[in-house]
Amino acid sequence: MTDTTSGSAEDPDAYFQDDVEAQRRERLNRMLQSAATGDERAFAELYRATSARVFGVIVRMIQDRGEAEDILQEVYVTAWRRADSFDPARGSAVTWLLTVGRNRTIDRLRQHRDELFTEYDATEVADESPTPAVMVQSSEERRRLEDCLDLLEPQQKTAIREAFFTGATYNELAQRLAVPLGTMKSWIRRSLMQLKACLAR
Amino acid sequence: MNTPASNDDDLRCAEYALGVLDAQERAALELDASRDLALQNRLDAWQQRLAPLSEDTRPIAPPERVWARIRSDLGFAAAQPSAARQRRFWDSLRVWRWLTVGTSVAALVLLGAVVTLTQQVPRAPTTSTASHGYLVSTIARTDGSVQWSATIDLQRARLVVTPTTHAAIRADRATELWLVPPHAKPIALGVFPSDRPATLTLSTETIAHFSEQAVLAVSEEPPGGSPTGAPTGPVLATGNMHAI
Repeated sequence: MTDTTSGSAEDPDAYFQDDVEAQRRERLNRMLQSAATGDERAFAELYRATSARVFGVIVRMIQDRGEAEDILQEVYVTAWRRADSFDPARGSAVTWLLTVGRNRTIDRLRQHRDELFTEYDATEVADESPTPAVMVQSSEERRRLEDCLDLLEPQQKTAIREAFFTGATYNELAQRLAVPLGTMKSWIRRSLMQLKACLAR
Repeated sequence: MNTPASNDDDLRCAEYALGVLDAQERAALELDASRDLALQNRLDAWQQRLAPLSEDTRPIAPPERVWARIRSDLGFAAAQPSAARQRRFWDSLRVWRWLTVGTSVAALVLLGAVVTLTQQVPRAPTTSTASHGYLVSTIARTDGSVQWSATIDLQRARLVVTPTTHAAIRADRATELWLVPPHAKPIALGVFPSDRPATLTLSTETIAHFSEQAVLAVSEEPPGGSPTGAPTGPVLATGNMHAI
């Protein structure tokens, strides 16, 4: 175990954390792969180990427990039926589930955007980035992404976070953050391309 | 390969992954991606790039009815999950029987508790935090082979760890058990003998961090355990926890 390429190798805590995280990720991947072969028990284990994270993300976006439960149900029903399309080489089982969850939630938000939008309280959801203390304990990928987000202008970083966590459209974001639509579009687009370049380094 | 068209595609994928496109734009990209593998790969790549942000969201345990609904949607036979659960208890019972050779009184008390619990009606999986009762964990190596099993009696603040197969650990190294709560620093639970059952006493403070979202991990350390209070050696095995 002399992996010195890891960015966190100097911090034994973070190093251990990454190691534990990697092992856990691998086991979850195997559970989803077993589910693809019809293993109901593996699927139940996968649900048990991942549903709270997926549910947390859905609730944060849709802010309605009943709807969030419906979406969570759809996500795992889809996961079981399409488990054979999961390829661990393209990302972890958790990322796969979270992505399905986010996409379903965004679709739902678009279906009745009007009702939800009027209920939205901008001051309530706009949130802070994690503190450095919290960040130390995050995954290596999360820390790396944060380093890149920190290179953006503060307003643009806020816009990216707001977009990700609320699933808002350009129009909604422009209204919430009180900037013209064109400005919002160029902020987000430029930020996304900057992030890509930064992450590729 | 950075033609204007491919840049446009990349941007659409990025916007889709971030979630800022409207319903028509989303549908259009999904359709295009379903017919264009290169575009699908771009989209996947963007979803991977942004996914770590989800870690900032606090996990919320969904109510048990959701799992019941999923099972009924998928037509899982009602008996199937209970059978699976029963089998898991059997696994631990075998271990527990063997454990009695160790004649630890605490372990015998726990054994009684596990036997009693197996007679209860099996429940659907739950992700809620267990504040009392028991947690069990099978601690496996990366290849999936189970190395130890652990049972935590939350009320009595005790943990029993038992080897399931012979653990090949160097004689001059010790095994130390850690609790890793989600996105928090590992908490040392203690050094334990790798080749025979052992009982570890837990502090009230530590007990509060046990949940089904936390993970148990075993690291290899110098004799007597990590000198720093944080793990220093490689992780040998990890295990999720389940309430019973």
